[in-house]
Amino acid sequence: MAGIADKMASNQKQIAISEFFEKNKHFLGFDSLPRSIITAVKEAVDNSLDACEEARILPEIIVKITKIDVKKDILELQTEDNGPGIPQKSIEKVFGQLLFGSRFHAIRQSRGQQGIGITGVVMYSQLTTGKPTHVLSKISGEPTAVSVNIGLDTRKNKAVKSEQTRIIWEREDMSLKEHGVRVTTRMKAKYQRGRQSVFQYLRMTSIVNPHAEITFVDPDGERFHWPRVTERLPTKVDAIKPHPHGIELGQLQRMCRETSDSRISVFLRQNFSGVSMRAAKELCEAAELSVSTKPKSMKPDDVRALLEAFQGERTIGGKVIKLLSPPTNCLSPIEEMLIKKGLSKTIDSKFIATMTRAPTVSHGNPFQVEVGLIFGEGMSADKHVEVLRFANRVPLMYQQGGCLLTKAIESVDWRQYGLEQAGGKGVPKGPAAVLVHLASTNVQFTSEAKEALSDNEFVFEETRKAMLEMGRGLRKHLEKKKKMAKTREKFELINDILPAIAAKSAAILERPVPDLAGSITKIMSAVICNETTIWNKETKQTDVSVTLFNYTTRARSYSLLVNWPEKSGADIVENERGGRKEATGIWGWKIETLEPGEQAVLEYSLSGLEKGDWTETEVFFRGSQDVIGATKLDEKMLVEIRRQEEVLTQSEETNVESETDSESSFEPGVVEGDSAQTTLFGGDV
Amino acid sequence: MARVNDPELTKARLHLVVEEMYDRIVKGEPPTMTLPVRTKNNIGFDKKLGVYKYGKKRSTRDATSLGSAKNLLRALHVVEFIEEMIEAGKSSTLREMYYISEGWGLGKFGGQNESNNLAEDLEVVTSCLREDFKLRPEEDGARMIGNVTLNELNRRGQWMTINARDDVGDSGYGLPYNVEIEKIQLKEHDVKFLMAIETGGMFDRLVENGFDEEYDCGLIHLKGQPARSTRRIIKRMNEEWDLPVVVFLDGDPWSFRIFASIAYGAIKTAHISEYLATPSASYLGITSDDILAYDLPSDDLSKKDIEALNAELTDPRFADGWWQDQINMMLEIGKKAEQQSLAKYGLDFVTDTYLPEKLEEMGLA
Repeated sequence: MAGIADKMASNQKQIAISEFFEKNKHFLGFDSLPRSIITAVKEAVDNSLDACEEARILPEIIVKITKIDVKKDILELQTEDNGPGIPQKSIEKVFGQLLFGSRFHAIRQSRGQQGIGITGVVMYSQLTTGKPTHVLSKISGEPTAVSVNIGLDTRKNKAVKSEQTRIIWEREDMSLKEHGVRVTTRMKAKYQRGRQSVFQYLRMTSIVNPHAEITFVDPDGERFHWPRVTERLPTKVDAIKPHPHGIELGQLQRMCRETSDSRISVFLRQNFSGVSMRAAKELCEAAELSVSTKPKSMKPDDVRALLEAFQGERTIGGKVIKLLSPPTNCLSPIEEMLIKKGLSKTIDSKFIATMTRAPTVSHGNPFQVEVGLIFGEGMSADKHVEVLRFANRVPLMYQQGGCLLTKAIESVDWRQYGLEQAGGKGVPKGPAAVLVHLASTNVQFTSEAKEALSDNEFVFEETRKAMLEMGRGLRKHLEKKKKMAKTREKFELINDILPAIAAKSAAILERPVPDLAGSITKIMSAVICNETTIWNKETKQTDVSVTLFNYTTRARSYSLLVNWPEKSGADIVENERGGRKEATGIWGWKIETLEPGEQAVLEYSLSGLEKGDWTETEVFFRGSQDVIGATKLDEKMLVEIRRQEEVLTQSEETNVESETDSESSFEPGVVEGDSAQTTLFGGDV
Repeated sequence: MARVNDPELTKARLHLVVEEMYDRIVKGEPPTMTLPVRTKNNIGFDKKLGVYKYGKKRSTRDATSLGSAKNLLRALHVVEFIEEMIEAGKSSTLREMYYISEGWGLGKFGGQNESNNLAEDLEVVTSCLREDFKLRPEEDGARMIGNVTLNELNRRGQWMTINARDDVGDSGYGLPYNVEIEKIQLKEHDVKFLMAIETGGMFDRLVENGFDEEYDCGLIHLKGQPARSTRRIIKRMNEEWDLPVVVFLDGDPWSFRIFASIAYGAIKTAHISEYLATPSASYLGITSDDILAYDLPSDDLSKKDIEALNAELTDPRFADGWWQDQINMMLEIGKKAEQQSLAKYGLDFVTDTYLPEKLEEMGLA
């Protein structure tokens, strides 16, 4: 009888596998011809990036699509990486078995979370062309690479290997490939351009993976290259144990069943994050279970009671059991500077604001929101801004309207920040692109298609807050730009036009050219600050120049302060006028007496940065007369700096989380004694 | 009406503009250029001349903003350019000056409008004519038909005698841009009055019907808002030959403005109204009454038309009772009509019935 049962089960499976694919094409991303090729690229590239990350290798990925049969819509896709390679014995598991891989059990941030992955591609390829997928894999230390064709036995849910050999893998330039995987597969699919395309997918991938070098050869033979802009790999993430707030009944039942722990109190402490000894005891008490209960022998009602204690439905005398938050080091944000670099390599523009919110927790799942906004010429001003959505560094390309991240963008009244938006709702219009990245151990999608995030008030609020912060940055930038344009006009007036008027009128009247100083003072009648921040190709430094002009009739004195990205590793060098560091990321100089018509120049360079890291320096002043082009130092800001510095000197905390953005805020930092404070911020000038 | 027409005086007046800028810089002030305000709020009736001129309101353009500073610099370049032309005995069109300004660096014009306006500014401040500045307009002059004989100095420097009835084809005599005495002399005529006509269609209709010969008149096609030379030649024939002038236009708010520019002076050129305006000219039609009396096919007034009519009600040139009645009546009936709507009663209606009736009212037929 057992034999028959096995056979029946196996039969069921046979039907299940091919029908499963057919019925779920939609969820698996193979529901249309244009989408199928994107999904295939996505699965292959995600695998490559994940493998490189785990092996701590800077990825180099080449994607090539060729048209094989235009009439029948057959494309060939070839992807190649420089990852660690797949050992010969694992190849058939990786490519030929559904739901293979360790990541389905671990709780951490990873790219493909639930997908059937590359096996789906192999299957789709076989179903539409009848052909196997060719895999070439080389691991470091072995002299040769494995070359093998992988097909699927859909009746047995097993890979079928054929033509397996070992060959020498040479690159185009005849050099030996050290390690990596190359996958070549043919499928029925259509190559398209536009917002939902392989090109767009790779472009977006390159934005959030600034450490990757990606090359794409499209069916017309056109080559696109997104270079690596940082050598820094994403931080290695640790897997964490599930948190009681984020667990479901089925999972809890399974964990109880599978554990070898003999006491529930030990089981709780060792298999969950955020559960202390005290909490474990209290959870048992709330669930009316003895601490010595054996998890394996728990009845369904006991498990349910435990879950209710987890969720605060069972309490001790009305008190919910307090649990620690899960650790957040399982997240790998891209981080502000790298988002900036990623955006600026694909979109050429002036202004970029980025913000990485501090990690936080929703329903026991750690998550972190990052946003970026790029604004300026080169983008269409009368179209909706481009929304670039990502979950765990994976681009989301479909279902934009139904996505939580889009809703958060739409909830902001962008009009107050200088973008057009009909009725203050919806995706705004203007020459801008908005990037949103959600890093989380448990990304919740609206459907299996994994293209839109489902509603979550915590994630929504975090995203919205980040958007507001960036909006303020944008408004500030636009206001500054406006002011700068006015100042530039005035300078053009006195530097070019006025001398020309004087010269021409003198020439016509045949009289001497008059002195302009008096007229200039009357025309400007202000103190003006002019700042330039320019990347110096030769010295590989960022050169900053700040000039203060006194176009008033009285002598003036000021303190000038500038911000610089100290926390990103920049140093101030070639600073001949000296001055002193006043706080982390703030340098100050004293300008003693500036006579009418005189100007003072501050020049310094920033080392330790790359091109595009720092493009705008903010200048603050302290003094009685207003300075056009600089911001008056805010007393409240000083109080805040001092407070933060005190906190820092009192506690030896090294890992203070900061939610401020690097462009305009003051980080707690080291101060060189109190006298510096009084000179600069204390006494009036 | 004597004109300056003295190169030295023109230069001296232009130098005053330059001196104002220079002296301000010497005093340590931003350079300026002072000129009359050129809006309807600053035109008033000059009793001595019988035309509307700019009043006392002045505005100062000073170099405290980039825009006006550039304007001053351009003015200097233009002054220099005019001096060069006077000395070289050359002239240029306004459009040519605009292109020449390409070489003026910071002082180059942003558009043709700017150069036209600046030329007018300089006329206004110096009380010179642009002819004195050797600047020509692009606009083409009017066409004229009738038994009028003129001497025109051609480009070979010879005087030609032209009769605007016998020596011309159906399109008539084309007036040059400069109709001043050094270019055009009025020789003799055998007409009783001049009729200025707004549209080419109506002008051709009257020519075809031989109206000029039947009623002994000179016909002048205005081509919409008349060019300066058109207004100037009307003014000269009116003054030198003492000929009555009647103006035959569409019946709409814009035609009222055309009439005002012929009879009282245009706001933009109020500095030279005494050269251009013909105060004795009379408005023949189409009047607001005509629209009702002849039951003419008409269009509803647009929003812009109504705004224009309301603006005219407060325009000093339309302050007299007859005009106030006409404007108010048009606002009341809410209609306007074209000259050619008279064709409702046949092609000859205008020459056989309408114009004779109107001219009789005016004592001209």
